[in-house]
Amino acid sequence: MFEESKVAFFLAKRSIVRGNKGTLYLTILIIGMVFVNLIFLPSIISGVAVLFNQQSIDYSYGNLVIEPKKNQIYINNVNELQKKIERIPGITGVSPRFITGATIVHKGNAVTPVLYAVNPDDERRVLKTASKVSSGEYLSEADTDQVVIGYRLAGNEDEKLDVIPSLGGVDVGQAVDITFNNGVTRQYRIKGIINSDSYGADSNAFITKKEYESVFGLDDKANQILVRTQETGNEDKMRITLMSFGVQEKIWTWEEKSANFLNQIIGSFNIINFIGTIVSLIIAIVVIFIVIFINTVYRRKQIGILKAIGIDRSIIVKSYIFQALFIFAIGTIVGCFFLLLILQLLAANPIVFPGGPVAPVVDAMLIVRSTLSLLAVSLIAGYVPAWITTKEDILSAIRG
Amino acid sequence: MIVGRDIKRVYGMGAVQVRALDGVSIEIQKGEFVGVMGSSGSGKSTLLHMLGLLDRPTSGFISIDGVDVGALDERSRTLFRLKRLGYVFQDYALVPELTAQENVYLPSMVRGMTPHECNLVCTEILGVVGLGDRIHHLPGELSGGEQQRVAIARALVNKPTILLADEPCANLDSQNSRIILDLFKKLNKNLHQTIVMVSHEEWHKSYFDRIIYMKDGVIDQQ
Repeated sequence: MFEESKVAFFLAKRSIVRGNKGTLYLTILIIGMVFVNLIFLPSIISGVAVLFNQQSIDYSYGNLVIEPKKNQIYINNVNELQKKIERIPGITGVSPRFITGATIVHKGNAVTPVLYAVNPDDERRVLKTASKVSSGEYLSEADTDQVVIGYRLAGNEDEKLDVIPSLGGVDVGQAVDITFNNGVTRQYRIKGIINSDSYGADSNAFITKKEYESVFGLDDKANQILVRTQETGNEDKMRITLMSFGVQEKIWTWEEKSANFLNQIIGSFNIINFIGTIVSLIIAIVVIFIVIFINTVYRRKQIGILKAIGIDRSIIVKSYIFQALFIFAIGTIVGCFFLLLILQLLAANPIVFPGGPVAPVVDAMLIVRSTLSLLAVSLIAGYVPAWITTKEDILSAIRG
Repeated sequence: MIVGRDIKRVYGMGAVQVRALDGVSIEIQKGEFVGVMGSSGSGKSTLLHMLGLLDRPTSGFISIDGVDVGALDERSRTLFRLKRLGYVFQDYALVPELTAQENVYLPSMVRGMTPHECNLVCTEILGVVGLGDRIHHLPGELSGGEQQRVAIARALVNKPTILLADEPCANLDSQNSRIILDLFKKLNKNLHQTIVMVSHEEWHKSYFDRIIYMKDGVIDQQ
């Protein structure tokens, strides 16, 4: 068996070294490109997932989200609960808030965004929204007749440019009317416009919690508390810690809150990726198959001669498998080189998605999976044509 | 010793059948240099293919050195060809990517010889065929006569019981043909190599110990 492999390797080596270089280089290049294709799209998808995950934490949920107990509308004694949570080691910010629906009207443009009522200082310790004000300022604790809105909600004078229903290009300093769901309508001045690349923050509106409480006549309540932890990734552990400190409300992790949205996006991307992967592997198998098949058909007579002088068919088949493995190995190395080049280019000029710039994430498992797929494909594409051609009887092969 | 009894080879199915061999019986002794001659289509190459285990007879019996080769399976026939037979083709049939030396030691490698042993045997045999100074040349860099001598060296490298040659001089001029035939004669005389050679050139006759004439798939005269 080892002797056979040695002879097969010898034949393969000589065929590669002294055979047609042009075909060899072209095949290696194609396999390299297939390898890049196998890695690139999934790495972008992983990059999108990382981006959306980070955005969920930075602009929507923090690390943990506390919501009212079952059958309750509000979390009561919020101030005491907030202080209690803030004392827990590993917690860096706690932001009680209200989330409600409201109708905002400006010069006949009416929109119904989500309205967030927040304590600006607390909010700054949990989310990054306050640092993404593109025009004007973020809210202050004392603000009562001020509202901050996302740039998508502010919109454009030319509504064709809007991606969501908007206020028609409202700007800082202009007044809008907000009608709350208890029927109260008040006028607010636009204090700032947010542009965070986060769809949630850029499409909604923010007032102070103090103002919201005055509209609804509430005190020491909230319908959501966002919690920021020192580390990301230990949310489950921190949830247990919060519970052990007596937090009886429902506690969600950011992953649980954003699961549906993210899963839908990633699910759609994965379908595209699956199709892309299958197409890439089919291209690889077809290319290697054609190259080996043409090679074996071209050498049909030579294969017949080798069999005639006593070289076993299995040795000849193995020699073509070794050639396919060589093409795979060098193709993969070339692919890695191209991939590094692309990653460098993307690091300098990132792809900007609606959620922000996406950096491709290439993990080891992705490389291993892609390499193994390509290896399997190469083995099949090397074996089948060699097996078919060597099956022919000696005299037919020799006569060509 | 080769023994063939009532060897038949029929090509084609149904109405059109070609009887390439129609009951050939032969005996070839060890150390003989036998020529197989006849007109085109007489069955001489087909007979050589049967003796060289490149094809199976439709019916009949072939024994080489007491082995009923018809009873061997494909793998055993391949091994038999490797260890007991040497084959020289009309058009040299060398592997173009291998040097003269590599072409010759390929069968030795398959037999499991070490690279050192392969080199020794190969250098010796290439010396015998007069190509000691051309061992690192690729077939494309050699003349037709030189390529055929490499092919002969490859056929002899495993010290076969029988050397089978199918019109080895067909593509060579008379000068190179003479070199090849002289070499065969030398191998036959000095090494007692059994040689069965197909030819249709009248002047080759003088080299053979015995000639088998074939006509229409049967032996016409010996």
